[in-house]
Amino acid sequence: MDRVLDTPAGSKVLLLGNEAIARGALEAGVAVATTYPGTPASEIGDALARVAKDAGIYFEYSTNEMVAAEFAMGAAASGVRAMVSMKHVGLNVAADALMTFAYTGTRGGFVLVTADDPSCHSSQNEQDNRYYALLGGIPLLEPSNPQECYEMTKEAFEISERLELPVIVRTTTRISHVRGPVTVDRIVEGVKKKEFVKDPARFVTVPAVARVRHKVLLDRLREAEELSEESTLNRTERLGTGGSVGIITSSAAFNYAMDAAVELGLSADILKLGFSHPAPKNKISQFVRDHERIVIVEELEPILENTVRAIAQHSSLQAKVIGKADDAFPRLHEFDQAIVARGLRAALSMASEAVEETPTELQELPERPPVLCAGCPHSATYFAVNKATNKKALFASDIGCYTLGMSPPYSAADFLVCMGSSVGSAGGLAKVNDKPVIAFIGDSTFFHAGIPGLINAVHNGHRFLLMILDNRTTAMTGHQPHPGSDKGPTCCDITAVSIENVVKGCGVKWLKVVDPYDVKTTVEAVKEALEQPEVSVIIARRECALIAARDAKGAITKKHYIDQEACKKCRTCVDKFQCPAISSIDKVQTIDEALCAGCGVCAQVCPYKAIKEVE
Amino acid sequence: MVDIYLVGVGGQGIITASRIIGDAAILSGRNVLLSETHGMAQRGGSVVCTARIGDVHSPLIPDGRADVILSFELLETLRALPRASMKTLVVSSTERIVPLSVSTKKLRYPSIEEITAHVERAAKSFLPIDAAKIAAESGVPMSSNIVMVGALAGTGMTGLQKGEFEKAIEMSIPRKLPENKTAFARGYEITDRAL
Repeated sequence: MDRVLDTPAGSKVLLLGNEAIARGALEAGVAVATTYPGTPASEIGDALARVAKDAGIYFEYSTNEMVAAEFAMGAAASGVRAMVSMKHVGLNVAADALMTFAYTGTRGGFVLVTADDPSCHSSQNEQDNRYYALLGGIPLLEPSNPQECYEMTKEAFEISERLELPVIVRTTTRISHVRGPVTVDRIVEGVKKKEFVKDPARFVTVPAVARVRHKVLLDRLREAEELSEESTLNRTERLGTGGSVGIITSSAAFNYAMDAAVELGLSADILKLGFSHPAPKNKISQFVRDHERIVIVEELEPILENTVRAIAQHSSLQAKVIGKADDAFPRLHEFDQAIVARGLRAALSMASEAVEETPTELQELPERPPVLCAGCPHSATYFAVNKATNKKALFASDIGCYTLGMSPPYSAADFLVCMGSSVGSAGGLAKVNDKPVIAFIGDSTFFHAGIPGLINAVHNGHRFLLMILDNRTTAMTGHQPHPGSDKGPTCCDITAVSIENVVKGCGVKWLKVVDPYDVKTTVEAVKEALEQPEVSVIIARRECALIAARDAKGAITKKHYIDQEACKKCRTCVDKFQCPAISSIDKVQTIDEALCAGCGVCAQVCPYKAIKEVE
Repeated sequence: MVDIYLVGVGGQGIITASRIIGDAAILSGRNVLLSETHGMAQRGGSVVCTARIGDVHSPLIPDGRADVILSFELLETLRALPRASMKTLVVSSTERIVPLSVSTKKLRYPSIEEITAHVERAAKSFLPIDAAKIAAESGVPMSSNIVMVGALAGTGMTGLQKGEFEKAIEMSIPRKLPENKTAFARGYEITDRAL
């Protein structure tokens, strides 16, 4: 039984926020769903991939977020319902398409889900994607919990079809990755096929069309504002006896505001905005009029705050508005109940909390950051690269498990900003530096955003080594397939695209494929590649160790141990190589046989041949 | 309301454990919110999940507010102590997973005596459990997490019934159900008897 698909109407079920979004889409009769995986959005696609075949919908993991969005746009413009989901920075990739799709509008409901990541739990920035709704003129829904994820996804399709506009549903990590009760309804089979009715004066955005369509968009936004005024997603809750304090909030911040207000014993009214753009101006104006002090509680950027201040100014209201501009709440990182309680105390000039003494001073604990797994082929690659270059190279890295190579002992990342940035930035680094430059990119990331950079390097004659770390999967986000995979989600027939053919097709003259488990060959390939007068490419190919272990069902035979008599305690296996199975305690290095993945790379790393296969 | 703070190392089955708690709460008709760690942090790093049962809106547990710390690894037990107060019960597996920083930075993994002393100073009581051994004896070495769920259920702190936990385990564990139920029962007995 699959919870997302098989939970019957009227039942209450525990769902992840992301699963609730998937269920909502199924109940809305979605016909087409696409994604590129990215934390914290990945489980939306994963849930749909699992059930697509049985639910009779089309689902795909697309090459990147832009393609995913454009695919869904093609379907929705024809008249069926389509959804595309991505992490917040994925929307940067898809934004080009979205900004103009707001002009053409849609015929079938089109919902774009963006999952933001305040505190950068799994991301390179904590941008606030509510700005995209403002930038593009796109209606915005902000659920606060799994039940609302489910309800608002359904509602988003209704709003989208009614206004003929795309709708953004925006979550954050503490909404997408929260599990809570969801009471579901019936799954509806939506329209799966629809003939595209030609209308180039709407859908072909040459300048003459775009100028006209921009006005249509602004007219539709006025209608959207009317919907927002009437929407039950924008509602007031009374705590205690209400009174002169009003709190305006949305998204995850609403949850913290509720719990913090109860903790502080506040009497206040809370205006919760679930349909936050276009903001319901009259509703907000009336709420401000009804209260003496207005506190704005929102994570990240002061978007609601600025909206409320503008409405108050426009309506000549005297109420005091308190928020980030008053330093009551931080603009950095995610909130929690304690941060919001502190903010409310400051905003309402309440006495600050008595500071409880911490019971004991903890000694500094050995930290435990995420690390490359035992048997990870990237570990072997980084060891070989360091050996070949003697660490005298510049490393342009990219987004994936292999970014973890930035830490010692590898220190194999010097620059990283976004998906695909390794390839583009390597050219610039090489142009103005004398050191050799090596770009690292994963297989999925190469398809996603690496190819234009490689074409640029060939065409403009840049000199660096591109290493494509091909572990045959999108590992970090949960082992989703990518265009190079020959195995997809069970729902779809897929064709594997050859990385070699793409590289050669870009015009690269020097290409080698190596197995990173073969350290010597990899070291030699890196040395030879760096001697080339132009861009060179090495594909380091070896399946992700987690997948290999899963497919082998534990049947790993090449476990290794350290022969303590042969070991010279040189620490090469812990200082130059890194494996969770190898530890060094009280100057003795040992291999934990239970953790050993049997890759045998450590045996090649040891200069004294003290690491041996278990008989 | 009950706040349970679950900690351990990526790969120990902590999300599954928290989901069982969540399912059991729903079976009992209570409200529940869980927060989980996904993505990059899971690669052998410290992992935190929270389970809040009762009338609550936000999923995160502020410092000093955990009613129970359920830890799957000893060093992580220490790391979780800021969430404890003198009202907190700490239930911890005695499993030790030595982090790479101990090897590379030549740091020391604290001894069980030091850990016990710290926990006893920061919390109401400390219940160490040899979950790995019990799991192995139950026939599924991977079921340490289920032993810990049993240990949590046995404390009686969740307000949930034993049967609700057992039903929740049936919903989440597709394979080796009898062995997992044994693992749960063994964990349950230990804390039920101790408290």
